This record gives sequence, C-alpha cells and structure tokens, in this order.
Amino acid sequence: MGLAKKINIKSDEEFCAKILESDKKIRFVGLTNGKSELLASVNRKDVDSLLTPKEIGMSIHYTLERWRKAQNFGFRFGKEKFSLTEYENVTLITIPVGSMLLLISTDSQIKYDKIVDSVTSLALEIRLDNLIAKTQLLEQRV
Amino acid sequence: MVKDNKGKITYIQNQKEDLAIFRITPEGGVPDYKAGQFLTLGMPVEAEGGKMIRRGYSIASHPENKKYFEFVIRWVRKPYPGRLTTELFDAKVGDDVSWIRPTGHMTINDELPNGEPDRRRIVCIGGGTGIAPFVSMVQHLHAVGDKREIVLLHGASYVDELSYKELLTNLENESLDRGADKWNFKYRAAISRPQEWFNRSWTGQVGRVEQFLRAKPGEQSPLEDLVGEKLTKDNTMFYICGWQGTIDGTMDYLQGRDFVTQRHPREDGSYEVKYESYG
Repeated sequence: MGLAKKINIKSDEEFCAKILESDKKIRFVGLTNGKSELLASVNRKDVDSLLTPKEIGMSIHYTLERWRKAQNFGFRFGKEKFSLTEYENVTLITIPVGSMLLLISTDSQIKYDKIVDSVTSLALEIRLDNLIAKTQLLEQRV
Repeated sequence: MVKDNKGKITYIQNQKEDLAIFRITPEGGVPDYKAGQFLTLGMPVEAEGGKMIRRGYSIASHPENKKYFEFVIRWVRKPYPGRLTTELFDAKVGDDVSWIRPTGHMTINDELPNGEPDRRRIVCIGGGTGIAPFVSMVQHLHAVGDKREIVLLHGASYVDELSYKELLTNLENESLDRGADKWNFKYRAAISRPQEWFNRSWTGQVGRVEQFLRAKPGEQSPLEDLVGEKLTKDNTMFYICGWQGTIDGTMDYLQGRDFVTQRHPREDGSYEVKYESYG
C-alpha cells in the first residue's frame, strides 16, 4: 500500500482541486456533509458560476434532500453509487464519499461514465491515501 | 391475553412526506387515560401475510378530549421502513385500526413522595416526535386550570418539523394575555441545522434541544434566562422524551446538578426527572 507516498492530500480543498484537475470538462467540485455545509469547493478558472451564493445553498439543499430520499430504498437497491442530472447548460454529478457527498458540475453533453469512473477511482484513492497518511501520522505520534 | 379494541382513522394531516398527524376514533369512545401515556396500535400487514403488527405511539391529544386519540408520527425508513408505521402512512381516512388500552409511566406528577402537592415548575423537553406526550400534558394542564409554571422545549432539524407550533404559540400568547397567575406557559424551539438553506428564516435557539440547558461560562443557560432563576431539584421537575441522544444530552447536564431520575430515585422516593426514549 504505497499510495500514501504517491498522493498526499492535506485538505478537503486539495481533494476537490485534484478532482477538478482530473478532467478538463469539470467546472466545479465541492464537498458537502449531511448538514449542507460546503466543506470545500473549487471552480475552474475560465468559468463563472451559474448560481449566486444563495442559490448554491438552495442547490445543495435540494441535492441532499434527493440523496436522503434515495437512501430510503437502500435496503432494496443497495447503496447509491452516483447520480447524474443533465441540464441544457450543465451536467450535475453527485458521488457519495463516505458520509459526505462530492458535488461536481461539468460542461453539458459529456461522456459522463468516463468522468464518473475516473473521479470515483481518484476519490477512493485519495481518501484511502489520506486515511493511510493519518494512520501513519498517529503511529508516529505513539 | 391482549384485548384488541376497534377504531377508525378519522383524520390525516401530512406535514412532510414522512411526518404526519393521525386521529383515531375508537369504537365505544375514548377511555380514561393519563396525559403522557401511549397507545398500542395494530394493523394487519399485507406484506407479512396479514399478520397483526402492533406498536406503541405516544398520545398527543389530552384525556379531556373524548372525541379521538391524536398522534404525531415519523415514518422512519432507515435502515428499514417501520413495519406498522409504513402501513399507517399508506392508510386512508376510514381505515380500521386496532388498539390496546393506554399505558405508560410518562405522566405528570401532581404529588411529592410525602403526599404534598408538587408545585415545582414543569420543564418538558421533546426531540422530534418526542413532543407528543407533552402536547397531551400541556393541553391537559390547561384544561384542568393547573397553576404551575410549564415550559415546553422542542427540538427539530428543520423548521417544518415543529409540529404543534401554532397550538403551542397560541397557548403561550394566552398565558401572556391572561397573566401567569392564571395560566403560566412558555414554549421555545431549537433547530439543530440552522446553517441549512431551508432553515434560513430561523432566528430562535440553534443546536440540539438540550442546548437550552447549557450556559456559557459565567452566564445563565437560555432556560434559566427564560424562567428567571437558577434551576434546582427543589424548583423544577423535568420530563424528557426523544431519541436516546436527547435523553443522554439532557441527563449529562442534570446529573451534574443533583437531579435524579424516576428510574434511580433517592431512598425517600424523590426524583426530578422522568424520561422516555424511543430509539
């Protein structure tokens, strides 16, 4: 398990930045917890946000509400892996990462399966790496 | 042998997809019971071959209301949907429900162990649908003209989960209009997710409901500010209902201040806390 040496992510902000860098079509990456708190977010430099700060709060609320409701069928369908909404101007992807939700918006008309696959792998890798790094840090302290 | 009685659902008010008020009118009338007790409801569950499933629900209506039993019920679906609650949320006005007589120890103490009247302030702390027994108690105390000071604290995650807000606000306004010597009631709520967009209009207490008991260093707690004095076992009786976390959070505060519970009373039988957890 040498991942800790490969990727060393120190913050949620850095985590989001790594995801943003992984595909040129990604416009925005955010990480929210179950309480609608936007723990970190990054925007692609060449794009303006389509939403005002208030609308971002509303959008996160709708996303979490949808996620919570989707979990009501977890006992039949299993855990949700990702969800996708394609609008005319943008595509929104949400991916559960532990108890948090990764929020991604991309340019419209993308090959979403490629992005979802790469982001999911990267998210898993980074989180695993982070966990290992934290464990190593704790072990060093002991 | 359990005796099932018959009743019908006569009113359903959906507050949210998973939160609703139900009224059940029993055949033969509402029996005598004490405010704060619960009723065991039963329905045959089709998905289980028509097996009768029974669950206890705190009664929100008061004993003086002889028209119906009222309940405020949350449809919990994780990790699995509640078996009877799912049936209730699928039910329609007019559907049959069976019930077993009211029972439960979460009732108002009118006397101290030595037989003297209990004149202490009543503080009720309800988390979520844990407000139900207190809605019953408050309406009962109002109906009988009780003169004790009553404080009802309700905690919820979202503003649309403050069931009975209108009723309780009206009862507090009546207290202000008539004077505390005639009806002394205060109602406050706490919202645990104030940062969420949906709760953006909330200006009241934030955090879990037990935050009402927490004081900043050198200050009184919000509850003490509200009643205007330090809370002691000699001036206040606590009633708590909600998830175990609500009970634990409240007891965490009270145990450090010599309050003891009905489940572990003093040698003379005295105590200042009654609680009921539903999780």
